[in-house]
Amino acid sequence: MTDTEDQALGFAPAHDQPVPYLARIREYYGTLGYGAPYRWAQYVDVPYTPLRKPLAKLRVGLITTAAPYQADKGEQGPGAPYNASAKFFTVYSGETSVDHDLRISHISYDRDHTTAEDSNSWFPLPALRRAAARRRIGRLAPRFHGAPTNRSHRTTLDVDCVELLARCREDEVDAVLLVAT
Amino acid sequence: MSLAARQLEAHGIATVVLGCAKDIVELVGVPRFLFSDFPLGNAAGRPHDIASQDATLELALRVLEAAPGPRTTVQSPQRWSDDPSWKLDYSNIARLSPEEIARRRAEFDAQRQIAQGVKGQK
Repeated sequence: MTDTEDQALGFAPAHDQPVPYLARIREYYGTLGYGAPYRWAQYVDVPYTPLRKPLAKLRVGLITTAAPYQADKGEQGPGAPYNASAKFFTVYSGETSVDHDLRISHISYDRDHTTAEDSNSWFPLPALRRAAARRRIGRLAPRFHGAPTNRSHRTTLDVDCVELLARCREDEVDAVLLVAT
Repeated sequence: MSLAARQLEAHGIATVVLGCAKDIVELVGVPRFLFSDFPLGNAAGRPHDIASQDATLELALRVLEAAPGPRTTVQSPQRWSDDPSWKLDYSNIARLSPEEIARRRAEFDAQRQIAQGVKGQK
């Protein structure tokens, strides 16, 4: 089918669909010579817990993969190249009542088309505070939590996820937003 | 992040994942997913755009409330750009020159050594 026919039918361009990251990443690292392709986590069964009360009566938590800025760890600002030294390897927490300087230079975000200038585009703590202020949610949890982007699934499952659950239970949250970068 | 959502949900805490990589999150399998068709790094909304960020959060909260069951994906109606050509660039070998591929290989090697060094110092 030609572009002209597509247009006549009102179709979007063929590439205007969600980016096929799995295929892109597989080919990308394969071409760069990195051996066996990364094995993504993959499950058939998915757990599910329905909300038991209206959101306006619930305590809501936040989990992020962003990293606290560390002045001694090289360039982490907007547009910084990938910076592995800014990675963190254990769960951390921060108070939601104060502002935080969280960066994503340790993440393979889209550096061609976004510059990581505004942390609100990956860390919606201020937006959650606004939602709590207008009673859209009952309460914001006292802490947010940082999830490491460990390459080892075993470490993620046996260490990081266990720790995140323990901290969320300490916070007595009913629901959690997890923001991926 | 998807694995953490599964862990929390399996222990009675409701979750919603906000993300920009639809195929990756859906492959893992999560209870609730708000997909924003934005470049990676903008799962909570458009930079410097509070209305976009508030709309993204509101939609995530609605997914939290109204998902009928696990593997519920809702796509945000927000568009990054009228021109979708940004979707062609990320890690797209077909769009890189041999020189650029060689440069990235060297850079990746260096970063991997840094990461291993950081982890070794823990």
